[in-house]
Amino acid sequence: MTRHHTRRGILRAGMATGGAALLTTLPAARVFAQEPAKPGEIIVRAWGGEWVDSLKRGVSDPFTEMTGIAVRHDLTEDNEIQPKVWAAVAQGRVPPIHVNWDTTTNATKSALRGVTEDLSDLANLSNTTELAQPVGLEAYPLVNTYGYVYVLAYRPEAFPDGPPQSWRDLLDPRFKGRIALYNDGIGFHFPAQVAGGGSLDDIPGNMEACWNFVREMKAQNPLLGEDPDFTTWFQNGEIDAACTISTNALAARRNGLDIAWTVPTEGCKFDTDCLWIPKNLPENELYWAKQYINHALSQKGQQVWLDGLGLPGVVPGLTPPEGLAGDPSYPTKPEDFERLIRISSSVQVQNESDWFARFKEIMQG
Amino acid sequence: MRKSVKRFSARIPLRLFESQPDERRKDPVMTRESDTSPFPYPLRWRIMDGLESALDAVWPRSMSRYSGWALVAPALLLVGILVLGLANIAESSLHTLDRSTFLPSEDYTLANYQTVADSATYWRVMWRSLLGAALTVVFTLLLALPYSYVMVRTPSAAIRKALLVALFLPFFIGQVVRAYGILIVLGTSGAVNDVLGFVGIGPFRLLFNFPAVVFGLVQYMLPFAVLMLAPALTAIPREIETAATSLGANWIRTFWHVVIPMARPGLVGAGLVVGTLSLTDFAMPAMLGGGSQDFIANAIYDQFFRTADQGLGAALALLLVALGSILVGIAIALFGAGTLGMGGKR
Repeated sequence: MTRHHTRRGILRAGMATGGAALLTTLPAARVFAQEPAKPGEIIVRAWGGEWVDSLKRGVSDPFTEMTGIAVRHDLTEDNEIQPKVWAAVAQGRVPPIHVNWDTTTNATKSALRGVTEDLSDLANLSNTTELAQPVGLEAYPLVNTYGYVYVLAYRPEAFPDGPPQSWRDLLDPRFKGRIALYNDGIGFHFPAQVAGGGSLDDIPGNMEACWNFVREMKAQNPLLGEDPDFTTWFQNGEIDAACTISTNALAARRNGLDIAWTVPTEGCKFDTDCLWIPKNLPENELYWAKQYINHALSQKGQQVWLDGLGLPGVVPGLTPPEGLAGDPSYPTKPEDFERLIRISSSVQVQNESDWFARFKEIMQG
Repeated sequence: MRKSVKRFSARIPLRLFESQPDERRKDPVMTRESDTSPFPYPLRWRIMDGLESALDAVWPRSMSRYSGWALVAPALLLVGILVLGLANIAESSLHTLDRSTFLPSEDYTLANYQTVADSATYWRVMWRSLLGAALTVVFTLLLALPYSYVMVRTPSAAIRKALLVALFLPFFIGQVVRAYGILIVLGTSGAVNDVLGFVGIGPFRLLFNFPAVVFGLVQYMLPFAVLMLAPALTAIPREIETAATSLGANWIRTFWHVVIPMARPGLVGAGLVVGTLSLTDFAMPAMLGGGSQDFIANAIYDQFFRTADQGLGAALALLLVALGSILVGIAIALFGAGTLGMGGKR
């Protein structure tokens, strides 16, 4: 079949081709001409220190570059922003933040309360691993962004015979007053259950083994605090060992402290953090908040963000940060998870208050 | 204008009114102008006139009997908001947390109060808060009384100013920063342990225990106590102490039998302020207690922000309010409102 090309047709085709070529060279912000109006800024709640620095480098700054929307980081503690968001949604007000960077357990409470937006339509979700999906919840009221391990961080100087092999090693009298735990015991309950001679299968029904071990630990007069406290205590020489998230230990090491970490034989708790969007945002702001999370799930965003945190992400093919390949705090393969303890969010959400209360009861004695 | 003159003459002080003819006599220009034009009131008078007119428009004279209430109204509004908040908290305390939805349950129940009553932890925390507050009151007053006395009685202006500066400096530093300073000074590698190291002892764990919390509270409360005691000591005429001395009392007896009884309003007031502030303190136990020396405020924080159980947090908050109110009530019953310098006997 012969086709006749008219001069007008050739001109039309040329214009279309040129237009398409021009479009590909435009910044992404210009391409989405039909997208909702851009807000002046979006507010992302984050943890401070290395946490927010990494998020800024990996997600926020590139997002601003791409869209022109400024990102403001609200460093209100996750536990403190929660009642504010809940109150705003309950009262029909616009919530104080656009995106909440939260622990999955905390976020699950918000999802159960019905204050989270569904994120199932994020384009980059299709490229994520199973870890991204919240367990026990329908659809995606939140999306997990990485996993982390509550390791046993220690000062090598205090363990001249090598890294501690067991959590029970901390019961040595020379560590009396030289150990730190989170003040609600988070991260410690599950390994304590094993170290106390119990079984993980008994969680949450029978955790007496855990409480017995916590009582033994209480006799060691441990310090109880939050992430920043651990860094300060290590820096000031107040403690020799702590049950803390590997990121904090890594940040301390990057700041020049001599700190190492290990996963003892009883195992360490593995958990996830996530991003979610509260309800009641204006439509356009909701759209851009979703785009922010979508960018956080991109290969490039995850790589830079999690390089800073030293944590394994939810996108396949990420390169481990220098020195962390094969590290027990950076699990990527199924065998890496063998010594890590993962309890479902729903069990944690239902029982966390009781565990905190029990831990406090022992420690406040 | 006539109306204005009339009002002004009625309200200006007599002294000012009487001086007017003299001023007019001394100023020939004024006299001359007053012959041809209206009296040239100074600008200040005109402004006062304007303000009075505006006040009359906003708050007519017929309302003057309510002026006292109008002045008290903002304070009443603030107290009203507080009471409203307390009512809200009381209502919240009657709902338990439904952990399947993380919403408060619909039913009204006293279960949260039962939880507190059954919990050994909360009893322990309450006892620790009370003991901490009591010890803080005792130590603070012991330190504040001599400090205030020297500050008030010293003949040296330089010493008085130095004491005042030392007193006010901590006010410009927040509680958290002060607690952080204590962390640095008393830490295992801190200044105190460094000094102890020079004489070959230590290092000791000086932080993260109950004494450290009380120390921090005393350090924080001392300026409040001194500021409340100083006026009470100033009000004691120096001649009374001189009289006691001339009657043969030495300085200690004078201080014990004259100064302290006469300073009682200040001591009771300072004790109440220090006691209630210490009882409700959050930062010092959180920062200096190492996580194991919680006060009630820390337990409330945990329930509101850590476990999202607002009902239980509200119940604890109300119990704290009740505890504080009972203590203040006992103090007033024991010493009388008159002791606080409020005029009446009781």
